Amino acid sequence: MGSEYTVLIIGYIFGFYMAWNIGANDVANSMASAVGAKAITIRQAIFIAGILNIVGAVFIGSHVTQTIRKGIVSTDILADPHLALIGALSALLAAALWVSFATWKSLPVSTTHSIVGAMIGFGIMAGGFSVINWGKLGAVVLSWVISPVFAMVIGFLMFKTIVKFILSKEDPFAQALKLAPYFISIALFVVILSFLFKTPLGKSLAVGTPLALLIALVMAIALGFVAVKILRIFIKKTNLTGEEEVFRKIQIGTSCYVALAQGANDVANAIGPLAVIYFLVKTGSVGAKVPVPIFLLFFGGIGIACGIGMAGHRVMDTIGRKITTLTNTRGFSVDFAAATTVMVASKMGLPVSTTHAAVGGVMGVGLARGIEAVNFRIIFEIILYWVLTVPAAAITSIVIFKILQLFI
Amino acid sequence: MRIPFISMFMTSPFDGLQEHAEKVKECAWVFQRAIECIIEDRCEDFEHFRKDIDKLESEADAIKRRIRGHLPKGTLLAVDKFEIFRYLGEQDKVLDVVEEGLDWLSFRAAAGIPEVLEKDFMLLVAAVMDPIEELSKMVAEARKYFSNFAEDQRVVVKDIIRDLRHYEHEADKLEDAVKEKIFNAIDDPVAVFHLIRLTEIIGSIADHAENAGDMMRAMVAK
Repeated sequence: MGSEYTVLIIGYIFGFYMAWNIGANDVANSMASAVGAKAITIRQAIFIAGILNIVGAVFIGSHVTQTIRKGIVSTDILADPHLALIGALSALLAAALWVSFATWKSLPVSTTHSIVGAMIGFGIMAGGFSVINWGKLGAVVLSWVISPVFAMVIGFLMFKTIVKFILSKEDPFAQALKLAPYFISIALFVVILSFLFKTPLGKSLAVGTPLALLIALVMAIALGFVAVKILRIFIKKTNLTGEEEVFRKIQIGTSCYVALAQGANDVANAIGPLAVIYFLVKTGSVGAKVPVPIFLLFFGGIGIACGIGMAGHRVMDTIGRKITTLTNTRGFSVDFAAATTVMVASKMGLPVSTTHAAVGGVMGVGLARGIEAVNFRIIFEIILYWVLTVPAAAITSIVIFKILQLFI
Repeated sequence: MRIPFISMFMTSPFDGLQEHAEKVKECAWVFQRAIECIIEDRCEDFEHFRKDIDKLESEADAIKRRIRGHLPKGTLLAVDKFEIFRYLGEQDKVLDVVEEGLDWLSFRAAAGIPEVLEKDFMLLVAAVMDPIEELSKMVAEARKYFSNFAEDQRVVVKDIIRDLRHYEHEADKLEDAVKEKIFNAIDDPVAVFHLIRLTEIIGSIADHAENAGDMMRAMVAK
């Protein structure tokens, strides 16, 4: 029994390490455009991201997690508790190591894809190639193409719309105020829909697609008007002028949402395998789905927040100094493109990451000539690491599995 | 820590264009002071101006190299990359010509400028200062246009370009008048050659400023 508790403690350490990595690696993607466009300060970004990630993880995060993320590997491999224990541990460590390596080397990888790759490695070791659901793996490959392209198109269109209807007008500030309700409502529509579709809490409400669309539409319009009222009060109080200021306020809202959704969705990457270990140690067996105790979600949320807190400052500082060409209208376009893409793609069942969508959004705004200079060639490097993530995490997982088998 | 996401963002070449335009302006001021110095006949420190211009020129050169060296293949800009290079090339020629003028002047600094032509040269130099000062304003206004794509702002840039053309035309007329006066007022052939060439060099400053304007016109074309 003693050795099993040792395993559980090791599991906690690995799980925390993974959560820490998620925080350190992903904070840049969700907050970059907001910090770059000076919508929020570095301190605010870290605070918002930290708190909202915990809130998202605990309250919106999945209370029942699939033991194998995204159903990519058959659950048959969990039949042998001993193998499952080693597998979950090695998958967790492999994914965390790969994400750490990527953060160190500044490679934009997806934490979701890392855990998926690590799970594949474990699956191959435990049950051979036949346990892999190749169709699901195809969806992962598809998401490498779809999410950036889709985000690029949305980002392009959104920025062009802002230019046409606001920036190029004679009095852009008045025009921005006049059209703010529409932009806020559109953003809210996406936020509410993605809340209903993507977050586990929304899913548990189990509303159908047409009803969800209707709810989102009504709420978006209603909330849009409330938001504009608040915006107007803000403007009267602080005497702000300029169309960028209007979008700065909107952008604060979108970045908060991204942080919340991130906590809700990504916590499972660290906590899913940890929950498997937890149940194997406690009950000796595990099924396709396990309930996740609140304290585990909280543990994951804290881990993410720690990652944000410890690595966040340096990340944000670099962003603030380097992305000087991003204004609020551009930042909003990027945020909107990323949020919409993540929402639509997850509705289609594709495992997308915010990283990929945000990169696509920046490309779109760049193509719309919104940014004075964007390095497009970096996209090839980025794509290379998206493709490498799955096999790299799988191989690492296999190696760790072999090593752990010697000891446990 | 380097962050992958931000490696997509790079320093805007327009920062460099603006800095370069400022250097050109500074150079032009030094040139104007040098001409005044020669005319005042008490110019003991002429070498000092040449050193100043040399220093400014090498600083501007560094900016130029920095712009050219930091736009790798696959950079997406608000305008075509080669339009920027061509514009930069013209703006840099303004500087080169100013330096050339000062050098040419120094070859015969002792003789200076004959008294009858003093006023004409002052006017000619003043005429080419205007377009140079417009350059940095033009870059700043063009940047504003690339941030909001407003038709109004485009008109502002186009107006500056028209002004540049106008200045060049004025400078051209002055140049011709000065040349005519040189041939009629000066008898010493060596002095004529020196002064005519000097007039042409000063006149070409405005030409290059106008060319820079034309390049900018291509950049703000819809």
